[in-house]
Amino acid sequence: MPVVLVIWMVVWPIISAIVRTIWRPDASGAYGFNLDTYIFFFTDRYSLDNLSLTLWTTGICAILLLVICLPIALYLRFSAGRLPAYVQGLAIFPMFVPSIILSYAFIRVLGPNGMVDLILNAAGLPKIRTPYLTPWGPVIGLVWDNIPLTVLILLAGLGAVTNQSVEAARDVGAGPIRVFWDIILPRLGNSILVALSFTVLGLFSAFTLPYVLGPAAPEMMGPFMQRTFRDLYDPLNATTQAVIAFGFCLVFGLFYVRSVAKNRTP
Amino acid sequence: MSVLEITDVSKIFGAVRAVDSFSLNVADGELVCLLGPSGSGKSTLLRMVGGFERPSSGRITIDGEEITHLPPEKRPTGMVFQSHALWTHMNVFKNLAFGLKLRRLPAGEIKDKVEAVLELVGLAGYGTRMTHQLSGGQQQRVALARSLVLEPKILLLDEPFASLDQHLRERLREEVRDIQQRLRITTLFVTHGQDEALALADRIVVMRDGKTEQADRPDVVYREPRTPFVAGFIGTMNLVEGIVSNGVFTRSGFSVPLAAADGPATLAVRPEALELTPSASAGQAKVHRVTDFGTHGLVDLELPDGARLKAMVGHPQMFSNGQSVDLKPTAIAAYRDNALIHRS
Amino acid sequence: MARTLAATRIDWVGVAFAVVLTIVIVFPLLVVGTWAFAEVWRFPALIPQQFGLRFWNQTLARADVWEALRTSLSLSVMVTFLSALICLPAAYAFARLKFPGRDILFFSFLVGHAFPKFGLLVAIAAIFLQLNLIGTFWGVVLIQLVGTLLFMIWIPVAAFQSVDRRMEEAARDVGAKPLRVFWSITLPQAGPTIAAAVLLSFVGTFYETEGAWLIGAPAVRTMPVLMISFINNQMVIQYGAVLSVILWVPSFVALLFARRVIGGGAFARGFGG
Repeated sequence: MPVVLVIWMVVWPIISAIVRTIWRPDASGAYGFNLDTYIFFFTDRYSLDNLSLTLWTTGICAILLLVICLPIALYLRFSAGRLPAYVQGLAIFPMFVPSIILSYAFIRVLGPNGMVDLILNAAGLPKIRTPYLTPWGPVIGLVWDNIPLTVLILLAGLGAVTNQSVEAARDVGAGPIRVFWDIILPRLGNSILVALSFTVLGLFSAFTLPYVLGPAAPEMMGPFMQRTFRDLYDPLNATTQAVIAFGFCLVFGLFYVRSVAKNRTP
Repeated sequence: MSVLEITDVSKIFGAVRAVDSFSLNVADGELVCLLGPSGSGKSTLLRMVGGFERPSSGRITIDGEEITHLPPEKRPTGMVFQSHALWTHMNVFKNLAFGLKLRRLPAGEIKDKVEAVLELVGLAGYGTRMTHQLSGGQQQRVALARSLVLEPKILLLDEPFASLDQHLRERLREEVRDIQQRLRITTLFVTHGQDEALALADRIVVMRDGKTEQADRPDVVYREPRTPFVAGFIGTMNLVEGIVSNGVFTRSGFSVPLAAADGPATLAVRPEALELTPSASAGQAKVHRVTDFGTHGLVDLELPDGARLKAMVGHPQMFSNGQSVDLKPTAIAAYRDNALIHRS
Repeated sequence: MARTLAATRIDWVGVAFAVVLTIVIVFPLLVVGTWAFAEVWRFPALIPQQFGLRFWNQTLARADVWEALRTSLSLSVMVTFLSALICLPAAYAFARLKFPGRDILFFSFLVGHAFPKFGLLVAIAAIFLQLNLIGTFWGVVLIQLVGTLLFMIWIPVAAFQSVDRRMEEAARDVGAKPLRVFWSITLPQAGPTIAAAVLLSFVGTFYETEGAWLIGAPAVRTMPVLMISFINNQMVIQYGAVLSVILWVPSFVALLFARRVIGGGAFARGFGG
């Protein structure tokens, strides 16, 4: 039963999506090999803008997430007590805030006349240029949303670094930076890549945050697919966009699969 | 009369013959130890008796009834696992009562039986404790009680004390022996510790590569090991490779009369059967190190070609490092091609 | 050495993290909470001019809110029930049994999650379009099921694997049949983790926006879908705030409950970390 469901819900749609976008009737109704929709996508200025916006957002988010989460994970790994427990609780907290509530909170805080504006105004400072409805809106929202998972994955990876190995390195005279660079980072490589894969996979399919917070044009792949499918009633092009998104995620997806398959206890 | 009969049983995992045409009969009330290094097939054999592995070939019967292909729940066996495997979500009473409940006994009877068996293992009044509130030794006692409460025809113990410390292990094995003798329950005990086997067993089966090396009373296994493997595995044994010629075994200056045909041989001498006498001249061996244990001493010896021997002595202070000594074995055995060729 | 010294002093790094994270993570939610209870809050006051429950009454008086809540709840219950029914036996099979094609199957589950989910949803939606499932309750149920497979397979697999095999063997030994062993030993042992997985899948379905929006809207309106339309089209800010607070309740329960799972590391492992 689960087998059937998986095949029907996962494998079949992917195959069907690929097949139906390249093997379909032309104007005369005869079935044949046809790459029109792909050619359209890669020649259409608007589609390409959307794709590059998605890639840009993905890159920025990945960097920001690493810069934010790695120190948090390192701190949590090498300290114990109530304060780190509190920090960990906070870092995981966004996992339990649905993205739709986050979107709403974002607008209320960073949006025009939001809380930040109120505070700046009270302090006699000029208003900020709100990131709402600009490409930075989704970036902030998505980073916020992805912090818990990244921290958890990195923390799991750091679990593989034993205290003894760190202490041994300090014992032979390595400073904190050397310890991080030579002892911790090599073990953490895999986890960083897994976290990265998740970010890429997550961002290519992000919908709510970019839809609510992002600019109308260009837009990220998620809202773009949705709009093509629902508002333009063009499932063919929407599916084409989906296949292209699959393609971009293939490398990271494969890496993720490999890493999970490797970690699995037989 | 044999309660348990294992006839020509083999278990093959892929290319490995974990148990290889193994046969064993266990008499009523007997405690048999399966002794061997890890990978010798002893646990696999026990798990086949318990029903957790299926034999690739062969027959297992209990009281004359074939059980070779019965699932564990249909066998009259009770297993005690190495890691106690208590159900941590139940308290002690529920752990013990679970099997009885499956047999649909009335609640009053279950209570009586559980209390009686807790009394037996020295844990009366512990019924309401959760398993994690118990010490390691207590947990293992509960595991034993869990098997005993069902009054199995055969009790199976799979290295039950392996995770306990030395002191506790010795105490528990005495308790197990007492309980086993009081109940006269037929028992199969797997261990890789020779002390445990020597202290517990009516009979020891030494296993190697899925086969029996020797099956005898503990004292016989110790005194008359049938192969060099058994000789080396049980107790401390000096095994010396050498040559027999004209009725004398020789290895690098050390020689002993040995009534056997000419050829290579392995000489086996227990440290306590090797007498040392200080030698005025070069001697047969040199003292390498002396360890004083108080009640006795252990002398490490070195033959001229570097081979090492151990000897047990009553007065270690008589010997010092570098001293030349002569060796006089009081009891020896010799093996050739894995078989005994001489004992004296 | 350095660490023990640092511990006796004030943990400045920790304090910095705590303060920054508090501002970044808790503050926005506090603002939303404040909005929910504000009757009048005009620029540029720092706090609302008037607090009250007026908008709670107004929000809760709206038929579309109740309708969406009912849809969301029945949807979540149905999806959670179905995915537990399908996934728990599968998870047990993965964790315990060896059968031909096991690895291929495992792989196919994985592949499903190695693709961007929204792309997958669009691909599925394209198929649903032909099956006339667009805009129907069952169409949404099916698409939500895809999302819950992740939680309902991975977390229980880890939970079942962490149950000591010998505990199950001991139960067989005292006379329990395999089904009884599963019911009396394996399930209670894996229980808390599996309960958390069920809860996560319930909450996940409750908040799932993409699939519901793509397949269901406008005929099937769940709470998050309603929320989007409030954000986009509703002039009264407080409706959204009140809805957010209501929406967040199940999440809070999940938060309290799932802490055990996340602490146990099964969660991160489920993601291949």
